[in-house]
Amino acid sequence: MERQLFFSGNEAIAHGAVRAGVGFACGYPGTPSTEIIEATARLEGIHSEWCVNEKVALETAVGASLAGVRTIVTMKHVGLNVAADPFMTLSLTGVNAGLVIISADDPGMHSSQNEQDNRNYAKFARIPMLEPSSSQEAYDFVAEAFSLSEEFDTPVMLRTTTRISHGRGQVLPRVPVPVEPREYARDISKYVMVPQYARQRNRLVLERLEKLRKRAEASSLNVLEAGSSDFGIIASGVAYTYAREAFPKAWFLKLGMSHPLPYAKVARLYDHVSRVAVVEELDSFFEEQVRALGLPVIGKAVIPTDGELDQEIVFRALEPYVLHKPPRRRRPVMPPAPRLASPPQPAPGLPVRPPVLCPGCSHRSVYSSLRKRRLAPMGDIGCYTLGALPPLLALDSCLCMGASIGMMAGFNKALGRKAAVGVIGDSTFFHSGITPLIDAFYNEVEGMVVILDNRTTAMTGHQGHPGTGLHPDRAQGPQIDIQKLCEGIGVRCVTVDATDHKALDAAIKEEAKAPGLGVLIALAPCVLMTREKAGEVLVDEERCNLCGVCVDLGCPALAPGEDAMSVLETCTGCGLCVEVCRRGALGFAGCEDDR
Amino acid sequence: MNDTTTVSIVGVGGQGVLLGAAVLAATAAGAGLEVKASEVKGMAQRGGSVLSTVRFGEHVWSPVSPHADVVIATELLEGIRGLDLLRSRGTMVCAYTTRITPGSVLRREEDYPDDIAGAAAARGLRLVMVDAEGVALEAGTLRAVNVALLGAASQVLSFTPEQWRSGLEAAVPAKILEVNLRAFELGRAAVASQEVES
Repeated sequence: MERQLFFSGNEAIAHGAVRAGVGFACGYPGTPSTEIIEATARLEGIHSEWCVNEKVALETAVGASLAGVRTIVTMKHVGLNVAADPFMTLSLTGVNAGLVIISADDPGMHSSQNEQDNRNYAKFARIPMLEPSSSQEAYDFVAEAFSLSEEFDTPVMLRTTTRISHGRGQVLPRVPVPVEPREYARDISKYVMVPQYARQRNRLVLERLEKLRKRAEASSLNVLEAGSSDFGIIASGVAYTYAREAFPKAWFLKLGMSHPLPYAKVARLYDHVSRVAVVEELDSFFEEQVRALGLPVIGKAVIPTDGELDQEIVFRALEPYVLHKPPRRRRPVMPPAPRLASPPQPAPGLPVRPPVLCPGCSHRSVYSSLRKRRLAPMGDIGCYTLGALPPLLALDSCLCMGASIGMMAGFNKALGRKAAVGVIGDSTFFHSGITPLIDAFYNEVEGMVVILDNRTTAMTGHQGHPGTGLHPDRAQGPQIDIQKLCEGIGVRCVTVDATDHKALDAAIKEEAKAPGLGVLIALAPCVLMTREKAGEVLVDEERCNLCGVCVDLGCPALAPGEDAMSVLETCTGCGLCVEVCRRGALGFAGCEDDR
Repeated sequence: MNDTTTVSIVGVGGQGVLLGAAVLAATAAGAGLEVKASEVKGMAQRGGSVLSTVRFGEHVWSPVSPHADVVIATELLEGIRGLDLLRSRGTMVCAYTTRITPGSVLRREEDYPDDIAGAAAARGLRLVMVDAEGVALEAGTLRAVNVALLGAASQVLSFTPEQWRSGLEAAVPAKILEVNLRAFELGRAAVASQEVES
């Protein structure tokens, strides 16, 4: 017989993670979640790190998952509020290698500022949730969570409460789960959540949820346990253990995979008993869903909504109902699968007109240089996200504001090399790019960050930010110098004039090869603010062979003609096409050269 | 459904679609009607398709409607696309000489369509074609394509010239008001010669 171990739920999760082939664990400390990372740090084969906050931790975890490594990220309940931005959109992108988010809730607020019920987050994000009720289940459910994550291409929430995380119990170790490595494959329409791709992904999420509900119906984690009375109880987590002890003769629907709720299994409980109660700590999460099936249920009318439960509270609350004369049975009304809106049908034969980077936009120059390097550009949110669309295809990911740097950090850490680059705008950097940069420095990430500094919040219409010091009434306030800020953290940082294509390309090339962490600020004010024409670009029709190298820049001011390219009047003369042309067919008016 | 009139203005980011909608809204409000308007403008300056909708009547409930009585298109391709927005026997007022080529056409992945007359006729829609660029240039600036089209559309909408003038004065910045008043009058005159059923 295998040696039994005696683990807290948190230790069990850590050991369960190693058993499930997890290679990367990160989080931010918070009671009652903290001991998970402390435990993984003592185990072989798993990289553990503290991140600067839960948002950065989740973004780092996403990067590691994309790189192909099974990853857990841990936090307490309120920590998920901090990580809610990447969390909500991660549901849409899905994962590469499995990704499990461990949320440790604190009913009774033993050491917390509130007692929010994070089961609502699983429903909110439409992702599956597992709730262990013992250390053994905490250990076992990790592997279950990873197989769900990879089979359904979704992050999975593993939700504990204080009594599960800190309670101790015997754990029987199991054989390690064989895990196939998952190569990273670039997939822009899956990982870059610009509206046109996010709409497609959102439909997949809604369809995925109904598939997961079928899985929850069949799952051995959701068990209908026969009793010898006419009384049934629906419960999960530690509340299940209280109810089990209080009512040994009752029938139970024990929910281990508690979201999405298996409606048919709930209805089957009603086939066996005439009185059903839901025993759950905090919100009426199951109760509301059972009531929506049209089924009578005893719940929060008698069981407290606040604080922890225990077997006495449960017994005293429900005991009168066990003896109560049973009501007439009702049949459940199964909700139909939610209807999806008709997908927008583009008019056949009509070219679409997506928004594009403006002629002369300095971001184009950065992208032109980056794509010569073998680096996966993790993107962010702003005008520059448009660079992910054809023909530039310049970004591999866009998850939420500020995600680029954390995702780059997790990706590079997981692969052990400088494989990704973070690309972020100046306003987005101030929004939420500073904390992940601090994190990347603290965690000694090998990586590169490019800050596209166009001196404004361009996409939304040129609002001010701390780097420009401009206020809504255009009054000038103090400015924060991004380079000094980075250097203050301790990060190597250079600023390059992004209108100087040669210098920019050389700087990116150098930084891409440099060891450690570096920031490159590509500085050029937004062309919509300057509206200056730098020069007139002319085409040498003899030399142009329509090879398409300049077309791939996606500049709206360049159009292929019958025999040669033509330059439209919207050209700002930025000269990037002149730079990339290999035949010397593009040049500035008035430039004497001997081509 | 009710007595609410729906006018949609379609075009390309940067063409002044939103200003056109503001003029129409001010005109309708000045005529004593309730007005509601809505637009998707997040990408307005980045060369994407832009749609703005103005609804007016004795009482207007919703700010949007899937079908318009009149569509004003400041660009030909957007006009052809905008035919889908029209209710049956609705009217399209289109700047047929204005073409802004999207990237996929520049890259020769797709073709720019041009037969708006055929497409409108096939659906039984009324079509008012306006050389809005020519009209705007005659008024003094190419940028007045939007208001030139409003002038044309004024022939199919039930406001008086005085009401339109008040709307223009209310919505157009003072320093470009004169040129826009000219563009409006010339656009209105350009359609007067066409047969427009009411």
